[in-house]
Amino acid sequence: MTSTKTFGNVDRRSILKMIPAAALGTMAFPAMGMAAGGAGGRYVHANNSAYDTLDPHTVNDVARVASRLNFYDGLYRWVDNPPKMIPWLATSHEVSEDGLTWTFQLRDDVTFHDGTNMTAEDVVYSLERMLELKQGAGSLFIPMIDPGQTKAVDKYVVAFTLKEPSAIFGSLVPSILVVNSKLVKANEVNGDHGQAFLIDNVAGTGSFTLSRYDPARGFVGKRYVEHFAGWGDNYLDEIEFRTVLETNTRIQGLMSGDYNGLDGYLAPDQVERLRSSGKVQVFEQESMRVFHIAMHNGRAPLDDKNFRMAMVHAFDYDGYINEIMQGTVARNPTILPGNLWGAPDVEGYSFDLEKAKSYLDAYKAEHGDEIRTLKIGTLAGFSETEQVASLMQNALAQLGIKVDIESAPWPVISTMMQSPDTMPDMVPYWKSTYYVDPNNWVGELYGSRYAPTRNISAYHVDYVDERLEKALVITDQDERAKLYEEATRRIYDDAAGIWIYNTKWYGPYTKNVKNVRFCPVGNGQDMRWSYVED
Amino acid sequence: MFVVFFISNVVPTDPARIVAGENATEAQVVALRTEMGLDQPLYVQFGRYIADLATGDLGKSLYTQRAIADDLLHRLPATLELTIAAMIISIGVGVPLGVISAVKRNSWIDQLLRILSVSGLAVASFWLAMELQMYFSTKLGWTPLNGRIGGWGPDEITGFYVIDSLLGGDWASLWDTLHHMLLPAVTLALPAAATLVRFTRAGVLEVINSNYVLYERAMGFPTSLIIWKYVLRNALISTVTQIGLIFGALFAGAVVVEAVFDWPGLGTYAVQSILQSDTKAILGFSIVVGIVFIGVNLLVDIVHTFIDPRTIQ
Repeated sequence: MTSTKTFGNVDRRSILKMIPAAALGTMAFPAMGMAAGGAGGRYVHANNSAYDTLDPHTVNDVARVASRLNFYDGLYRWVDNPPKMIPWLATSHEVSEDGLTWTFQLRDDVTFHDGTNMTAEDVVYSLERMLELKQGAGSLFIPMIDPGQTKAVDKYVVAFTLKEPSAIFGSLVPSILVVNSKLVKANEVNGDHGQAFLIDNVAGTGSFTLSRYDPARGFVGKRYVEHFAGWGDNYLDEIEFRTVLETNTRIQGLMSGDYNGLDGYLAPDQVERLRSSGKVQVFEQESMRVFHIAMHNGRAPLDDKNFRMAMVHAFDYDGYINEIMQGTVARNPTILPGNLWGAPDVEGYSFDLEKAKSYLDAYKAEHGDEIRTLKIGTLAGFSETEQVASLMQNALAQLGIKVDIESAPWPVISTMMQSPDTMPDMVPYWKSTYYVDPNNWVGELYGSRYAPTRNISAYHVDYVDERLEKALVITDQDERAKLYEEATRRIYDDAAGIWIYNTKWYGPYTKNVKNVRFCPVGNGQDMRWSYVED
Repeated sequence: MFVVFFISNVVPTDPARIVAGENATEAQVVALRTEMGLDQPLYVQFGRYIADLATGDLGKSLYTQRAIADDLLHRLPATLELTIAAMIISIGVGVPLGVISAVKRNSWIDQLLRILSVSGLAVASFWLAMELQMYFSTKLGWTPLNGRIGGWGPDEITGFYVIDSLLGGDWASLWDTLHHMLLPAVTLALPAAATLVRFTRAGVLEVINSNYVLYERAMGFPTSLIIWKYVLRNALISTVTQIGLIFGALFAGAVVVEAVFDWPGLGTYAVQSILQSDTKAILGFSIVVGIVFIGVNLLVDIVHTFIDPRTIQ
């Protein structure tokens, strides 16, 4: 076995160096709003969508991340920004020479909330359950590991045998949230893998235990004093995550002190309203949530590079970012977040209607003057997508191109996006962080292996595919970074999409909330690090 | 139900894809589609839905992943409680003001009440809700901003917090519940009260000039007795009919008010179901609203027989 494998942006040697810190249980890391303060306290968070299930294996959305992060633990854990992966339930891992078998050494002092000791059997059961349910994060593992290929080597050693070598498996490991196999099995009904039980109950090792839960209202968690990572001097005794659908209500509630924190992706005017109130603190972090306009590269006229070049020069990037978004986001010239390894150093396209017109003339010279009406699909309720579509519509009108804007809820648009026949010509949307690896963005959105479900652009270029495929199997990070840079640069040169900005996270909290640790994967909702000062 | 089912299915969403999640592969989605019976023709799916419905099975929500019947039953008391409170307020305010408006016909009070009732009908409930929140909750701090109760409520017996607080003798929860209910109930009640003012006014005006009222006046009965006992009883027939219709409208209309006030009832469930294109959940909500609407109107018909026994014939 070799131990030189890397994953995420951390190599194994770095991880091993972190183990003593984990063993000490203090886990002191730099965080926002850090100050000396008293232990304990209660934190109330207003969330913009409902926590209608607590099952960690059936959902994997950002909106419900708090229940997964605070009630469950993974083998490793993402923290901070830029994201670092730290040892968590596992202390180390090794990868076999052929890259197929990943073997993890587990801690022997981890207990579930009912006091049961966590073992390798629980990890095996958890991954098998994810594969069987075919939902949530399980979808990420199905392409790379078959059922029955996870084995408990001994009580505290677990081995995963993959279908093919995978460089991204390591960065997915934090998504394997471990459930108490004995407890869940005891509550299985008609072979449901404990779904009916875990929808309302928690069977984890996480930092908080479930105290109250109402799917219509949210949940309350109490500090799990025996958590293996320990607690240090400052911590929260209780957390409550409430569903508050209306943005205005959330903001007023925070300003009046009913809540201690909100989700951090607010519109610029709301951020300004909070800041100017003087009653709250707003933390700012560049996230890894890229806003872009996906283009249908497989349908005329967008299958022509000259036409696409006209499109990328017809968007007013500066106007949108500085005027509409009031500078609250960071320009991101490619599909890879600028703050992630593997992102090429490119200037980015600029708004230049003269240049767009010259590309359009080149297109017309080859294909004729007739250009059909283009359709942009926008997400109802997400005003930024509608604003972007309107900007494009106005700019293209100046070039003599008519645009229809069709707005619909996300489930409607996403269904349309996943078939080349129904995919609109352009769709503005965000690509969130499910795991911190360039494959999450460039691989999934432009690699042929992910078409048509995740690669919705119908972009298929051998040069790019070769690099993306190679980067999936080799583990040397420098080499992988080079491959992603080359692939991303080619996609950029092909103007395969319009890449606009990388989101900034503006975490609004009451002034007594300290030590918030934002990570793009958890959106600052990993509450074990924070506390409320008296 | 037939119409809602087919309209819901015209919307181009793929429930299998929603369940499988954003990262699912095409093969996973296809397998799930078959498993969920979505590969069958629409009439077959409708037939299955009806067959399940006959056994009380409304299906499973795509988003909450729970039985829709359980979801709806869990949230029903919150919405019913809010709707009943709004109904009480609207009757308590609308009927007396309607009578006053009629008795003081064409006076400045009548003109003012007519303007207010038209305004009450015209005002958008989401706007009113936010204004009330900003003034009474944020600025004055008199009422809670949102929610059904400060903590997690009294020990659950019926799911109606007022009743559960009374049964458990939990006066703190009772006060907190009523306190939280005030703004959403007023928001919901205002358009209903405006409607009742107009209908009561019209009903009273129709009756007030009838012969028996003239006779009672001639007999020297006190005006208040004539109005509140004899006139109002006959004038209320159309108002009571309206109350039945209004209750149904309030129940369905709680969608917006619940969303603004973070009221954990059927309205917020409906909003989320619509946003998630959770068609079976939307259908379930429609069925519950329909049942409540029918039930209340049946009750109204029964009340009619007490107010005017001639309706039995």
